[in-house]
Amino acid sequence: MDTTEALALAKEVAGAWTWETELVEPEENRLDIHLKNAGDLAAAATEIQANRLGYLAAITGIDLGAEAGELEALYHFCQAGAVITLRIRLPRENPVVATLTGIIPGAEPFERELSEMFGVTVEGLRAPNHLYLPEDWPDEVFPQRKDFDPAVLDGEAERSV
Amino acid sequence: MTTLQERWQSVMDEVRTWARTNSPWVIHFNSGSCNGCDIEILATITPRYDLERFGVKLQGSPRHADVLLCTGPVTRQARERLIRIYEQMPEPRFVVAVGSCALSGGAFQGGYNIMGGVDQVIPVDAYIPGCPPRPEAIIDGVVKLLQSLQPALED
Repeated sequence: MDTTEALALAKEVAGAWTWETELVEPEENRLDIHLKNAGDLAAAATEIQANRLGYLAAITGIDLGAEAGELEALYHFCQAGAVITLRIRLPRENPVVATLTGIIPGAEPFERELSEMFGVTVEGLRAPNHLYLPEDWPDEVFPQRKDFDPAVLDGEAERSV
Repeated sequence: MTTLQERWQSVMDEVRTWARTNSPWVIHFNSGSCNGCDIEILATITPRYDLERFGVKLQGSPRHADVLLCTGPVTRQARERLIRIYEQMPEPRFVVAVGSCALSGGAFQGGYNIMGGVDQVIPVDAYIPGCPPRPEAIIDGVVKLLQSLQPALED
């Protein structure tokens, strides 16, 4: 399946879904599927896999800011040159999302990174420890959020020899 | 100490100085670098640029080394490991920071996950700038370090 076929199939499949979605095509080879309900994520990912619309390439996050009060999690699926993205919005106060590792075991490192960088609680992870951040990182400090203040780290680790 | 012992001691010190400046054994450590500087260090040791003519030999263990060649901006995770390696080196030991990341954090200066240069963690004796430094620059830096060692070790 090449890029145009993949995009066409994706639009067809997503258009037939009964869940609330919004389809956006920001670039020629991309299709963004905004899922209005975060709970539909697992089912949508299963559908994408069932239709062989690509492999999970990355899970990324966007902090929409304190005024918007929301975080966004993006799940990117790649097939040939096409990128199909599932986007869900999560409330900033208590962002919780279910894990995809039951369907896609390879999602684990991405979900651990999402949880340690943005503070998203991913339910069902078998090892929810830090992946990239060091052991002595302070709790409840999320580096990729817009309100991260590097001054929190001063005095954390100093020259010792 | 008798004069014979003193004379023997000073002869041994001279031999030690001669050995350390003519044949410094090196351990290389990457504290989070992109590997550009590591590749250049490796190239410097190969026969084309030949750092081995200065007696530099790459060792596998810090316990056998005189000089620590350190690359990378020292990520927070690598910091403890770098200190442990530095402490395992027997004295007198010297540290050379290779590449702009090791000097000041380089392109990643101000990042939340790095210490910002090797001298934020351990004392450094020589700095070799570049991104990555050419093998000629690395040789220049090592030779300058060896020349500065001679008076220091003769004390």
